[in-house]
Amino acid sequence: MRNHALWEKLRPYVMIAPAMAGIVLFVVYPVLYLVRLSFYKYNLMNKAKSKFIGWDNYRKLFGNDDFYKSLVNTVWYTVGVVALTMILSLLIALWLRRSSRWNALVQAGIFTPHIVSIVSIALLWLWMMEPSHGLLNYVLQSLGLPTSTWLQSSKTALVSVIIVSVWHGIGYYALILVAALQSIPPSIYEAAALDNAGRFKLFFRITLPLISPQLFFVLVIMTIGSFKVFDTVQVMTDGGPNQATSTIVYYIFRYRSTNIGYSSATGVVLMLVVGALTFLYFRLLSRKLHYQ
Amino acid sequence: MASIVFEQVTKSFDRTAIIRDLDLTIEDGKFTVLVGPSGCGKTTLLRMIAGIGPQTSGRVLIDGKDVSRVAPGQRGVAMVFQNYAIYPTMSVRENIEFGLKNNKVPKEERKRLVESIGETVGLSGLLDRKPSALSGGQRQRVALARAMVKKPSVFLMDEPLSNLDAKLRVQMRVELIELHKKLGTTFVYVTHDQTEAMSMADTIVLMNEGVIQQMSSPAEMYHRPANRFAAEFIGLPPMNIAELGPDGVQLGFRPESAALSEEPLDHHLCIRGVIATREMLGSETIYQVRTDKQAYMVRSAEDRFEVDRPVYVGVPAEKLHFFGADGRRIDERSSDVRWYLEAARGLVYA
Repeated sequence: MRNHALWEKLRPYVMIAPAMAGIVLFVVYPVLYLVRLSFYKYNLMNKAKSKFIGWDNYRKLFGNDDFYKSLVNTVWYTVGVVALTMILSLLIALWLRRSSRWNALVQAGIFTPHIVSIVSIALLWLWMMEPSHGLLNYVLQSLGLPTSTWLQSSKTALVSVIIVSVWHGIGYYALILVAALQSIPPSIYEAAALDNAGRFKLFFRITLPLISPQLFFVLVIMTIGSFKVFDTVQVMTDGGPNQATSTIVYYIFRYRSTNIGYSSATGVVLMLVVGALTFLYFRLLSRKLHYQ
Repeated sequence: MASIVFEQVTKSFDRTAIIRDLDLTIEDGKFTVLVGPSGCGKTTLLRMIAGIGPQTSGRVLIDGKDVSRVAPGQRGVAMVFQNYAIYPTMSVRENIEFGLKNNKVPKEERKRLVESIGETVGLSGLLDRKPSALSGGQRQRVALARAMVKKPSVFLMDEPLSNLDAKLRVQMRVELIELHKKLGTTFVYVTHDQTEAMSMADTIVLMNEGVIQQMSSPAEMYHRPANRFAAEFIGLPPMNIAELGPDGVQLGFRPESAALSEEPLDHHLCIRGVIATREMLGSETIYQVRTDKQAYMVRSAEDRFEVDRPVYVGVPAEKLHFFGADGRRIDERSSDVRWYLEAARGLVYA
């Protein structure tokens, strides 16, 4: 009888044990291990020579100008990508909200970059952005517009990387927002029309609040994703010129073999920054969201 | 206060005409109910008045003014939608206020109006709630308040009671009748429920397949249906229809006009049959009487007849209706009716 009661108590835990084992093994353990590594001067060749150095890696990190440069780059990159992608994908979604065959075609077209590898896309843009032979400058020139140095100058390199990332992501986020817009019952708009609402009011008082959960989702997901940007930078600029496009993850990557403890400390800082930002979003915005 | 006139109005969806060359006048200050089966075009008519589904051709006049090019918000109409279409992200107060704000009503007056309307429809304590925290009946009241607060000259309602439970529906029906009496404005009400139409309307507009079948008072529609469709749509259970003769004339009588007896009756029409089903409703009982040709519904105050027992159904001559081969009513003053009455007598023991 007592055995039976015990089993009743244990059963839920036994049931979720396999899933928990997976989470512990693949999520909790790696994160803890990352934190542990960040306190070590780790020797990849000879594990026995690794030694615990406390906060040294962090001290070094926060005393390094390159780290700040990467952090600032990452913040600008994130602000640029998130703002541009959100505004543009919302505009595209508003344009494509009416479901018609033509709109479906356009939507598929805009979505296509998302199914192409970012490496291929980065290479393609690298070629198009080539200052003297690239397509972009050719087009600008033939339109009589000033050309750009694109990736080759520290002034324009970050913006160029932002353009590529925005171009890559826009279709996916527009798709999410189109679905959100299409789920708004038409009768709400009809009621608003009868209430004599102008276009401006309609957008800011009806449409925007109704798709706020999806906008918030896009904001959070994109912020997290942008903070972790790596592949575009690696392929297009190698962090250059003159560290103009070096981001946090690229910074981590640079120390991957020379100083893995230092790398890990950067990773932990990135994790905390992204975590704090997400927390902030939820605190600041969740009351403005309208879940139905 | 406004009358509504449709002049030669056509409405097509994807080149299929739902309504063709329709003429209709809805009287000022009346409670007009558009009724008909689903897909008959009644909601389409309502949306044309509101301007949210404008006509393909023809003119719609509100208070004598052609509104074909007037935006929905400028027509002086308010509408209650079937699903209420309340703005889910706004509080009850904001919902009611939205139209006033758009019409630049000053803040003080807005506050006063919202509060007095809230009182009228019984939402006083709920003004700062979100619609998601309201029951179906309360949402219905929000939709009603939102329409009322604008003091429209025309009230449009698209099956506003269909999402309520049966009890609340009957209650709201009475409240709407009272509201109409109080406001005295033109009400146009769409429903597929003939009971709602009969109980609330000053004038019923009965539609089928985009065509107006009959437009009259509820009493007229019940006692003198213009055609077979009207006869069978209005009334519950619908009118019994039977073939009368070779020229395609049909005879009809209402279930409540018939008498039941175990003995042959000396009514003008007397039919023998067997009781197939019996629905005991309390104050009355509905029987289905089956003859070898067809079944008739009979509504009776007596509940003593049992299933499978032979009975006689009797109908007096003045309660019989006749319809021509085209389905139209044959006027009782017409000379042919005498012949049809004779023929009906021939149905005895059929």
